[in-house]
Amino acid sequence: MLLPVFTLKLRHKISPRMVAIGRYDGTHPCLAAATQAGKVFIHNPHTRSQHVSTSRVCQSPLESDVSLLNINQAVSCLTAGVLNPELGYDALLVGTQTNLLAYDVHNNSDLFYREVADGANAIVLGTLGDISSPLAIIGGNCALQGFDHEGNDLFWTVTGDNVRSLALSDFDGDGKKELLVGSEDFDIRVFKEDEIVTEMTETEIITSLCSMCGSRFGYALSNGTVGVYDKTTRYWRIKSKNHAMSIHAFDLNSDGVHELITGWSNGKVDARNDRTGEVIFKDNFSSAIAGVVEGDYRMDGHIQLICCSVDGEIRGYLPGPAEMRGNLMDTSVDQDLIRELSQKKQNLLIELRNYEENTKAELSGPLNETDGQRGIIPANTKLHTVLSVNLGNETQAAHAELCISTSNDTIIRAVLIFAEGIFAGESHVVHPSVHNLSSSIRIPITPPKDVPVDLHLKIFVGYRSSTQFHVFELTRQLPRFSMYALTSPDSASEPLSYVNFTIAERPQRVAMWLNQNFLLPEDTNIQNAPFQVCFTSLRNSGHLYIKIKLNGEITLNTDDIDLAGDIIQSMASSFAIEDLQVEADFPTYFEELRKVLIKVDEYHSVHQKLSADMADNSNLIRSLLVRAEDARLMRDMRTMKNRYMELYDLNKDLLNGYKIRCNNHTELLGNLKVVNQAIQRAGHLRVGKPKNQVITACRDAIRSNNINTLFRIMKVGTASS
Amino acid sequence: MELVLNRADYLQVGVTSQKTMKLLPASKHKATQKVVIGDHDGVVMCFGMKKGEAVAVFKTLPGQKIARLELGGVLNAPQERIFIAAGSEIRGFTKRGKQFLSFETNLTESIKAMHISGSDLFLSASYIYNHYCDCKDQHYYLCGDKINDVICLPVERLPRIVPILACQDRMLRVLQGSDVMHEVEISGPPTVLALHNGNGGDSGEDFLFGTSDGKLGLIQVTTPKPILKWQIQNEKKRGGILCIDSFDIVGDGVKDLLVGRDDGMVAVYSFDNAKEPVLRFDQMLSESVTSIQGGCVGKDGYDEIVVSTYSGWVTGLTTEPIHKESGPGEELKINQEMQNKISSLRSELEHLQYKVLQERENYQQYSQSSKAKSVVPSFSINDKFTLNKDDASYTLILEVQTAIDNVLIQSDVPIDLLDVDKNSAVVSFSSCDSESNDNFLLATYRCQANTTRLELKIRSIEGQYGTLQAYVTPRIQPKTCQVRQYHIKPLSLHQRTHSIDHDRPMNTLMLTGQFSFAEVHSWVVFCLPEVPEKPPVKCVTFYFQNTFLDTQLESTYRKGEGVFKSDNISTISILKDVLSKEATKRKINLNITYEINEVSVKHTLKLIHPKLEYQLLLAKKVQLIDALKELQVHEGNTDFLIPEYRSILEEADHLQEEYKKQPAHLERLYGMITDLFIDKFKFKGTNVKSKVPLLLEILDSYDQNALIAFFDAA
Repeated sequence: MLLPVFTLKLRHKISPRMVAIGRYDGTHPCLAAATQAGKVFIHNPHTRSQHVSTSRVCQSPLESDVSLLNINQAVSCLTAGVLNPELGYDALLVGTQTNLLAYDVHNNSDLFYREVADGANAIVLGTLGDISSPLAIIGGNCALQGFDHEGNDLFWTVTGDNVRSLALSDFDGDGKKELLVGSEDFDIRVFKEDEIVTEMTETEIITSLCSMCGSRFGYALSNGTVGVYDKTTRYWRIKSKNHAMSIHAFDLNSDGVHELITGWSNGKVDARNDRTGEVIFKDNFSSAIAGVVEGDYRMDGHIQLICCSVDGEIRGYLPGPAEMRGNLMDTSVDQDLIRELSQKKQNLLIELRNYEENTKAELSGPLNETDGQRGIIPANTKLHTVLSVNLGNETQAAHAELCISTSNDTIIRAVLIFAEGIFAGESHVVHPSVHNLSSSIRIPITPPKDVPVDLHLKIFVGYRSSTQFHVFELTRQLPRFSMYALTSPDSASEPLSYVNFTIAERPQRVAMWLNQNFLLPEDTNIQNAPFQVCFTSLRNSGHLYIKIKLNGEITLNTDDIDLAGDIIQSMASSFAIEDLQVEADFPTYFEELRKVLIKVDEYHSVHQKLSADMADNSNLIRSLLVRAEDARLMRDMRTMKNRYMELYDLNKDLLNGYKIRCNNHTELLGNLKVVNQAIQRAGHLRVGKPKNQVITACRDAIRSNNINTLFRIMKVGTASS
Repeated sequence: MELVLNRADYLQVGVTSQKTMKLLPASKHKATQKVVIGDHDGVVMCFGMKKGEAVAVFKTLPGQKIARLELGGVLNAPQERIFIAAGSEIRGFTKRGKQFLSFETNLTESIKAMHISGSDLFLSASYIYNHYCDCKDQHYYLCGDKINDVICLPVERLPRIVPILACQDRMLRVLQGSDVMHEVEISGPPTVLALHNGNGGDSGEDFLFGTSDGKLGLIQVTTPKPILKWQIQNEKKRGGILCIDSFDIVGDGVKDLLVGRDDGMVAVYSFDNAKEPVLRFDQMLSESVTSIQGGCVGKDGYDEIVVSTYSGWVTGLTTEPIHKESGPGEELKINQEMQNKISSLRSELEHLQYKVLQERENYQQYSQSSKAKSVVPSFSINDKFTLNKDDASYTLILEVQTAIDNVLIQSDVPIDLLDVDKNSAVVSFSSCDSESNDNFLLATYRCQANTTRLELKIRSIEGQYGTLQAYVTPRIQPKTCQVRQYHIKPLSLHQRTHSIDHDRPMNTLMLTGQFSFAEVHSWVVFCLPEVPEKPPVKCVTFYFQNTFLDTQLESTYRKGEGVFKSDNISTISILKDVLSKEATKRKINLNITYEINEVSVKHTLKLIHPKLEYQLLLAKKVQLIDALKELQVHEGNTDFLIPEYRSILEEADHLQEEYKKQPAHLERLYGMITDLFIDKFKFKGTNVKSKVPLLLEILDSYDQNALIAFFDAA
């Protein structure tokens, strides 16, 4: 049984996920964590305090070995590490929604203080790809930015949605680090410098990522899932009803391989084998875990695993010695094995007894009432499932429909569907009332996103009076574009927007792809090229045309740029297309984007004007205050009163101005997100190299503020015509 | 001295009932004892441990489910005869397994509890108690509610025979012959009785009881009146008590109390100098502990606590250390034993697997035919659906003999499902889109591997009644699920008591009409929890208490007449609605008259007042905690705060815990006040639903007098 080697109880709260250990003076590891009221505390148990009292740092009034750093803004991310290799000690990096501060704790000075318009939701520190100096990479609203120790912006790119987690890992084993980005659109993207290498779609927002041995990395989702990927394949995942607050890779059993350490919202900490997910160690705290880090906190040459709870409890664990052979928990492995085997034996015995019952039942004659009650059904009962599109009626919107029916007079008591990402929870239940029981059931399904989903069905089959039911377990795949119904072409409704590209595939293969990814009626027969099909979206009744010419040229007509991108990506993966350049035009979308870009400019100028106003006002305040005080000294109470009245009014103005500035800022953020997303979408229409070219070119166009070039790039894929 | 006990699993049999495992007395001093256990398959098994392996002494053929197993024998001699109760029959076996007795009691119900003392046999079925001497009927008693357990104070030490019944209506009944001598009311429904120290204590008059809400107590039956000597409350919210034994496991010469609970907790209490119990040791097993006894089974010289669990595991918690210090050779030997056990199990499994595969194939073939039938494996579910007095919510406990895969909870009444910290299952609420399907709650619990027990907490609303269904799917092949139904009664938050305060202002509801006693009783059963299903004699009075508001209800009824009195107008209103609905359904002509006491409304509001005020204050304090803590960090000390705020900071943890414990308490109180308001005027024939927003406004800025004034004015 592994016990903590030290336990501390600090009297400061710790904000979740905002804990870091750094050697801020080059030798002593200190714990830095964000706490309440926009403060960061630094716990330094090694050097008994020399009292420093300057602008930022002040001694904590509660504890002698804790100093507090005022940020005056809610801290949104925090890390520590080597930013400037020449300095020889670690820097502390603190991000907020508007700024990034790199702080030299030892000398109590700022390394740099940068304004970041996209906010900083996550931060990671280290070297990326071929960039020689260490970078502090922050993830904000759809954007990624990397700063070196002088605050120079050496890395900038966009991603699909707001970034929630970052990690640096050698993903492809080339000895250089790639950047893993987890975002709110459930995707984990891997960036080799500014080029997207792969994307993996998860089922919820990715809240944490951590690099493990080699190409492996751990991840955590906001629905309580944690797991481990090796490159693009998932080794394992588990789901808990609690939330994983922090994950960390650490070799706790001294076998040379990192385990995944998870700190949970219920105060549990567990260590899991990276290959199997088997728990090798667990411990409990009295409150939620805020962070899991590692460091040589006792300065004895051994690295400890350090877990912190939100209430300020800190425990350090030394890795178990090799003699423990990984047996870190106090239960005996053998005992558990025996229990497990014995349980298996019991289950087999139950099954065996059941077959005996079957033979007995066979002898007892035809099915009767009491048999039904005990859950006996004809042995040849089969279930049919059909997925189709239902166009809906007045009372019910259009939806995809799953129809389940039994092959005889047995009834379906209930259907449980376990599927991720398409229901509010992880499951959907259909339980008809006693009067509506029948042998078939129709279940409407409306997936919110175009993703292929496995539906794990559990169907309870029996009779009306049954108290025990057979459970049929089936898995059906819901195709990716199940929310599109095949309709007859009608040239008047053809959308103006289009994407054009050529692929070297036979039309039959395209027809097969259509069959796999859409819910086509069974009698659909796709003739040879050239052909065209028309779909109507069940969500917004927008139209989609797919036309194929003899030479393999494909045209997609749809106003939904995301849909066009999804279709191209789906085709590319099923036909194994590596590079694909397209020609696209989305007039309405581009027009909106143009408006947004103009708005962004406006907001920028408003922002500048407001800042200038604020500076003016602060000068005014200074002079008013001086004059008011002068008046007081002259005992001219009336003038003083007037001045203070003016000051009060000015204060009100400032407050109002602040509110305007806040609104302006949120609007700006929203619009910037739209712009970032547009670039991402333009990239999504292409595959492979053209995709990266488009993103890079778009970024350059935005930097040089050349709107027309931007649209040309989005249309044809390159800046030069 | 700290008590360290190590767990050792011995054997698994079928599912077991409460009190079905015993240790046979050792044949000679310092030898290991044999274990005898009876299970639901009707098998009695006796085994001993040899070199870490269970060796069977005898094993009977399967039969009817065994409800109890006791040891008996000639008084003052070793008790080594084995008696079992199965169905309505008692059977006796010698310690070698030879059957010497088969006694058909001819009881109409199957036997639930048994006690044996010399040639006296005390039995109880659901409502009936019977005393036999040498298998001849001696005494008989029909109880008003279910009998959970029976014991008799030691006959050899007392001049008369004193049987004691533990009854579901929170009563311990001390009998004399066929009559009740004393009734002792206790705070929870008693589930188990045991003689103190195994022999009735110093006087031979002491016995222990355990309740289904986890309380434990000692009572001395003195001739004038039984005295409650001590009682342990269940502050940590542990499970109900299923078994008690006395054994000196600590080794200080005084017998300790061993207790097994239905949440898997095994606890040891020692007695201090004042003879009060003190908790010395507890350990959590994963499933209900059905029997417990102290003795020596695994290795001679090492005392242990032997327990049996619901799914039939016999487990020892032994004082024998796992890691011997005597040398490396010894440990190797233990390991070897373990390995042998594992390999033998493995080969057994392989054999079984092969057999199952064969059968599976056979089944596949024969299922092609149209006449063939498919049976599902039957499995037993141990369930408990009880009202908690402290927070007026229901707890549903489901326990299955094998691991649970998932549970579907469905309800046709609006209820709240609350999270229980102990659960590791992932819960997912499904949308209940179509009203036509009568679903108000659909939730799935997907259990983690090896979960055999699931606990749910449910909050109901009085007046809304219906059925809660649980579909339990275990991890066995072929996959099957079983439905369990639980009734949410119209007055679901009421609990039986035995006395009420008669001075309160009461509202009365009178029923008259052409109905039988059985009919009116069935209505009461339908409306209120904890009423025995069997109608008692001709006329009956039951008292109830509302666990949330502490209002009360008195119901007296007989053939053709029923009188219900409550100080809470809402209770009367609910009863009126439900009863008239039920009567219409059965086409019975009912005469309902009521008498409303205006003062009662004010009285109820006054009852609610302290609860409401406390909750409001608590909410306010909790809101302040974070801000105050921030100030504390900023300023470094709390000297500048007013004492009120300082005390909030000091009690912060406690306050937050309290607040977390009763989620939505305030909303529930508001709901009940609103109901009270509507019901008050409903009896007057006015609909005041339009004034409810106004009422809520008053509640938001709560003041008792303003509220009462509003009730009067409207």
